[in-house]
Amino acid sequence: MKVIEVKDLTKKYKEHTAVNGISFDVEEGEMFAFLGENGAGKSTTINMLTTILGKTSGSAFICGHELGKEDDEIRKVNGIVFQNSVLDKKLSVKDNLLTRGSYYGLSRKQVLARLEPFSERFEMKDIWDRKYEKLSGGQRRRVDIMRALINNPKILFLDEPTTGLDPKSRKIVWDYINYLRKEHKMTIFLTTHYMEETRDADHVVILDKGNIISTGTPAELKTRYAHSRLVWYTEKGESAESLIQIISDKYVYDADHYSIETDRNLTEFIFEHREEIRDYEFVKGTMDDVFLNLTGKELAS
Amino acid sequence: MMDFIGFTKRNLIIYFKDVLAIFFSLLTSIIIFILYLLFLKGTFVDALNGTLNGLENFVSGADIDMLANGILLTGILGTAMITVPYTCLQTIVKDRESGVDSDICATPLKRWKIVLSYFTASTLSSFIMTSLILTVGLVVLNFMGDLHLSVQSLIAAYGMMFLGSASSTALFMLVMLFFKSSSTSTAFFGILSAAAGFVIGAYIPLSQFSEGVQGFCNLFPASHITSLIRNILLSGIANNIDSSIGGVDNGAFISAVKDTFSFNAHAFGTDFSGMNSVLYVGIFALICIAAMMVVYSKTYKK
Repeated sequence: MKVIEVKDLTKKYKEHTAVNGISFDVEEGEMFAFLGENGAGKSTTINMLTTILGKTSGSAFICGHELGKEDDEIRKVNGIVFQNSVLDKKLSVKDNLLTRGSYYGLSRKQVLARLEPFSERFEMKDIWDRKYEKLSGGQRRRVDIMRALINNPKILFLDEPTTGLDPKSRKIVWDYINYLRKEHKMTIFLTTHYMEETRDADHVVILDKGNIISTGTPAELKTRYAHSRLVWYTEKGESAESLIQIISDKYVYDADHYSIETDRNLTEFIFEHREEIRDYEFVKGTMDDVFLNLTGKELAS
Repeated sequence: MMDFIGFTKRNLIIYFKDVLAIFFSLLTSIIIFILYLLFLKGTFVDALNGTLNGLENFVSGADIDMLANGILLTGILGTAMITVPYTCLQTIVKDRESGVDSDICATPLKRWKIVLSYFTASTLSSFIMTSLILTVGLVVLNFMGDLHLSVQSLIAAYGMMFLGSASSTALFMLVMLFFKSSSTSTAFFGILSAAAGFVIGAYIPLSQFSEGVQGFCNLFPASHITSLIRNILLSGIANNIDSSIGGVDNGAFISAVKDTFSFNAHAFGTDFSGMNSVLYVGIFALICIAAMMVVYSKTYKK
């Protein structure tokens, strides 16, 4: 079942087109990733789908509710984790979550009941009475996610949820996201400019300058736009290069190794030349390569 | 309704949990109080004594002191009615700047409720703070002497606190639309704090200024409210002084005091009666509220 259906969605600011007629669908329970550099239109799209921004043209249905006509219904089924923390810094975690819950018409008792299934997993007990401004970046993100879950959303929008976090906090945030996805079968709509974060997505849409330039599963995209590489650690020389030319003419020498682009199965070739090719590794194509090949630009990794 | 109450409660907590915000919102009032202790009281008492003109034997020093203290209290209330709502409403700019407004707009809370909630929270905060100041002030004055206040005057005084809070909030809701960042709104607050005491005549009675300046100052609802509250709180003691004079001066002393200390707002050659001032402030507030509901609804439709 499709929970998001977008057709020709456009957002224009005077002369500037932030999102240019994009169309895509999101299935229930899947993790859908929007990949693109800053300014590609990712946040604008999320802001339109969560009714924060009005659309210029096009149509979108969220859980069957039409954007622009049934916005209140859409707001009830959406949960959103913003790029920046948007909770009140001077208030405690408890006050923040209880007041946010009231915006959905929920009483204190109802908010606590909604959060109860997640409280232990998100380790809320220790930070419940602490001021939001006193929390670490990772703890804040944890509270931000809890806030997004208050209204028991069907779709959780995550707008670059790990930007600015240290690797440890990033991993923790991803553990929570995977938990929500697997244990609660929640539909996740993610925007990111971190390549590796799209690895586990069911569907990836690559956005550039407000346009969708490619879409597919990570595997499909890698097959289409990325090439595997054989990295051979050896000295630069004519004999090595003539051996490489048997399998590919796309290669470069970097510092202490050849990087050889090839999609061939190299097991047999390496076995045959095991005396020469002793120190090597086989690197599969990455989402980084996909993005680079599609846009000619590199993203953060 | 719970959503509206919840958001209003949040806006109230934001102000009341921030001790620094409370302090700075009352800074002008505190400065007026300190200046009063240092020299303003002397100035007020001198001005009042100067008006006596041979009536010294009829009017006690204690009554003159009470009159001066009452004028101080109304000055403190008048400035608080400007600075407290402004500080509370800075939450709007901070919310816009930090993206909190996006979080609010992503909830089913209706846009008009968001606007009304900011307004309600600021009005309530200002009403609570000014009522608190009024209560403490009246208790202190009661220990110092008799203000000759009736129950009706007391109720009317608290009513003025509400009207003043609502009208100032309505005006500042529109002012906040011009600020894109909290640094700009804070800078403006510096100017406002400095000007507030003069605009409502807390440092120097408005009657001492030219017609044009008086007219300008009385465009602001807080000036009318200060005059009204002065009238309500000090009419009792003024009447008592008048009685003790016993009609020897045909009411000239009290009339002069009321003129000097603007017991009635005066703008562009016209004296406002109490009712006219209430009407002016009420209409002013309603126009601002109507404008804010229209303009804010548009700003939330990005």
